[in-house]
Amino acid sequence: MPRKRKLRFEEIVERFAELKDTSELMIDLAYSSLLLNNKELAEEVQRLEEYVDKLHTEFELLVLSSGFKKEEAKGFLGLIRLGVVAEKIADAAAEIAEVVLRGIEPHLVLKLTIEEAEETILYTPVAENSPLLNKTLREARIPEETGMWVLAIKREGKCIRPKPDLKIQVGDVLIASGYAEGAEDLKKLAAPQFSSVI
Amino acid sequence: MPNFEKIEYKPISVRELLLEMKNLSELMIDLAYSAALFNDKELAEEVLELEKRVDTLAYLLDMVTMVAARDAEDAEALVGVSTVASATDKISDAAADIAAIVTQNIGVHPIVSEIFERLLKRLIKVKVNETSALVGKRISELKLAPRMGINIIAIFRNKDWKINPDENEQISAEDVLIARGTPSGLKEFKELCEGKKETLED
Repeated sequence: MPRKRKLRFEEIVERFAELKDTSELMIDLAYSSLLLNNKELAEEVQRLEEYVDKLHTEFELLVLSSGFKKEEAKGFLGLIRLGVVAEKIADAAAEIAEVVLRGIEPHLVLKLTIEEAEETILYTPVAENSPLLNKTLREARIPEETGMWVLAIKREGKCIRPKPDLKIQVGDVLIASGYAEGAEDLKKLAAPQFSSVI
Repeated sequence: MPNFEKIEYKPISVRELLLEMKNLSELMIDLAYSAALFNDKELAEEVLELEKRVDTLAYLLDMVTMVAARDAEDAEALVGVSTVASATDKISDAAADIAAIVTQNIGVHPIVSEIFERLLKRLIKVKVNETSALVGKRISELKLAPRMGINIIAIFRNKDWKINPDENEQISAEDVLIARGTPSGLKEFKELCEGKKETLED
């Protein structure tokens, strides 16, 4: 395959990866917003939904303008459909977040379900004695150590999306998802028990 | 024409129904992307089967929430439950759409599969070598979630997929496993399956 065409493909796949990852992140964030009855998280999901719509259009244009051959049409149709699916998932996430934005306390059963599910959501403040303090997210290696993914960080009332070079500060609240087993590990890492009890 | 059966009302708790719907919808997304990127028809068929199950659960949940509302206030809170349930149903429909790309022989351009690692950062498909330390072990013994932050979501054995295998399931040589979790955990798991790494560490 000529190099130029290969690059074009890379770009298409890259764009799709962004679409897929964002739609899945949105589901996690939407459930988090529900569990915590948190409007900012729910609003973030709504913002991401608009972003996904934009991304989806860009992706479709990229695929359609890639100059594929007739015999490749099926494979490209498959790609287009994958994009549609990611967009549908993003829509579903936005609907979940909408429940929070209606301003009614989410039904207890929703909270219980999210806590009990295979993949759970954790909300944990970072204490003064946490080894995570002043480390960037990259250095903190939270997924490697605990199997949990940081979805968002709450700082001074605002929700920040986790970038690898973001430094963890005292008072930050980590919102993370993963298997229930890892949640305990992350909790201990973020807020180790103080050795002396006052 | 699809076959629509009558679904009998059962007094199941909303929580039980919603929990299964949430778990299945997330599992299905991972299985469906795996089916598309590995071009695996049997796996895609399994996703379509799960979709039917979610449809039945959604129908039951509708009935159960309607019965549960005693007054307007109840109804208001339960609308939220039903919205979330319908979102999980939509997610599972989306997964079925991915599976249909495979079952309808449309497929995804092969070049995508070549670079699929970038798409499936949290998924892996790996064959168990006969020399692997995992052979003969029960899934529960491996403690994969606490050790590596991963989970086995499907096993291919005797030309058949077992979805969400039981904790008591034993790993056999030649099994093909699909696991999901953290990239570092998956890397370690792959080495274990291939027999390149011999022991499980804590």
